Amino acid sequence: MVVARSSALFLSVIAFAPAWLFAQQDVRAPGGETTRWEHEIPVIRSGEWKGPRLPDGQPDVQGFWSNTIANHSNWTDPQGGEPGDTRSAPREHRAPSRVIDPPDGQVPFQPWARALQQEFAANLYNPVKPQYIEPLARCAPGGVPKSFIWHGYEIRQYPGYVLILFDSGTRIIHLDGKPHLPANIKLWNADSRGHWEGNTLVVDVTNNNAKARFGRSGEFASDNVHITERFTFSEDGERYNYVATFMDPTVYTRPWTAMIPARRRGVGEPPDGWHFSGALANAPGQPPVTEHYERICVENNGAFGQLAAPAQAASSSGTRP
Amino acid sequence: MHENAHRSAIATRSRTPVALAALVAALIAARAHGEATLPRLTNGKPDFSGIWQTTSAAEFDLEPHAARKDAPPSAGVVEGNVIPYLPQALGQKQRNFAARATDDPRLKCWTLGTPRGIYYPEPFQIFQRERDLTIVFQFGHSVRTIHTNGTLHPVDSDNEFWLGDSRGHWEGDTLVVDVTNFTDQTWLDRAGNFHSTALHVIERWKFLDANTIEYSATLEDPNVFSRPWTLSVILHRHREKNFQLIENYCYTLDYDEYYPFPQSR
Repeated sequence: MVVARSSALFLSVIAFAPAWLFAQQDVRAPGGETTRWEHEIPVIRSGEWKGPRLPDGQPDVQGFWSNTIANHSNWTDPQGGEPGDTRSAPREHRAPSRVIDPPDGQVPFQPWARALQQEFAANLYNPVKPQYIEPLARCAPGGVPKSFIWHGYEIRQYPGYVLILFDSGTRIIHLDGKPHLPANIKLWNADSRGHWEGNTLVVDVTNNNAKARFGRSGEFASDNVHITERFTFSEDGERYNYVATFMDPTVYTRPWTAMIPARRRGVGEPPDGWHFSGALANAPGQPPVTEHYERICVENNGAFGQLAAPAQAASSSGTRP
Repeated sequence: MHENAHRSAIATRSRTPVALAALVAALIAARAHGEATLPRLTNGKPDFSGIWQTTSAAEFDLEPHAARKDAPPSAGVVEGNVIPYLPQALGQKQRNFAARATDDPRLKCWTLGTPRGIYYPEPFQIFQRERDLTIVFQFGHSVRTIHTNGTLHPVDSDNEFWLGDSRGHWEGDTLVVDVTNFTDQTWLDRAGNFHSTALHVIERWKFLDANTIEYSATLEDPNVFSRPWTLSVILHRHREKNFQLIENYCYTLDYDEYYPFPQSR
């Protein structure tokens, strides 16, 4: 056996902190949501896949997923809240930085880029210039990698493809070996070419327009960034770790690597509107079937991946027929 | 045609058994050949996976029209040529037409809706499993799911979805999709044809051959139309080498210059 059970080993075991320390931040999911406040990141080793497979041979990892250590508020201090948030628990009681290399947990920005990131962070709540407005708040796609720390999402698989449906954005990962798009085409969701190595989906990501930020803390890449992603799934199929290496000499002093832990959602869980916003299908006489209604954002003139909201749409639209 | 062939074969049975056998063999061979050339899922249902696009001018105006500055000419795609508006709805259609250069929701890159997304002149990709078909539209990168797992429309029937709620079933090799729970915010084309939240669409998807789909949609809306009416277009498979969708989030184009690199450097 090569793959460790997801609960067996932990990269970082952090002292337990009572839920009340964090509850005040978690205004979107009151009432006991704990997933986003996990402090521990399981080690999942790459190796052979022994779980179920699809007819085309791919490991079957379809379903609803979500990250486990808070959201997009802060890239390097995931449970530290947005820039300027002073309500958080002490740093040692929070999940570690998503940056696992370099060891200091910081993105190795060139000085000018660090200054720009700090400028973004400082102006999050004072967007006196258009570029200070978080693009996701305008319904722009979350992009790579931020989509993985936004709402829960869904993976669907097909011969030749892995499809990831985010609340803001969709990624079509091509498994058929075709070449990347011409380099001058830059995309919010970038251009993805993947293949399976045992329990790991390896994806080469180019053509990133780099307009999305990694978090409200303002980290970013340039549109020259080349990302290699590894999605390594646990033996029981309940967890995976996303490990991405960022190469971008325009912005960074060296390549660096991030990790985002994720776990499966939706098996007998009630929707919480954040990590898991699926719904039970209307299927009388059938076993429970989970599905997801359409994802709409800009049409409702609001951010945060709302579902259809007729009242808002009607009041904000100039195009009533 | 099948029926006729069958009847004439029976009528000639006693006299020409050899000819009958040959005819039956030919019919079976033709049918088997047609079925064998269609892509199918492992459960035997037609597999519409692929990238598709219409060459019709349906998006510009569903009804017959001569050339205009903003539309190529077309004999239309509506059965019977005319969309049967109720008298009280026709005025709104005419106002929409007059204001089409500014009021078409497409101009804001909003989700086109059903059926408009299908005949909009940009490609869309179908990803198909037994339980559903996922349609990703290049325009706006909208995602529509057609459920084919026997599930029904949501219990709450007043959802106002931009693409509607789609539940499909198979009638032979034809995918029949019932679509309800619509918003009234989408248009049916650039000519201002419209609908209300009471819109009910029944789509029929059928292979003409492995690279061609005959698509029809019957629209009923008691608030807008005097009777159900049907449009039909042909969809062609993109077979260019390495062809792929290229996301078109056109609603971001008004502000993407601000983000975040290198313009703000």
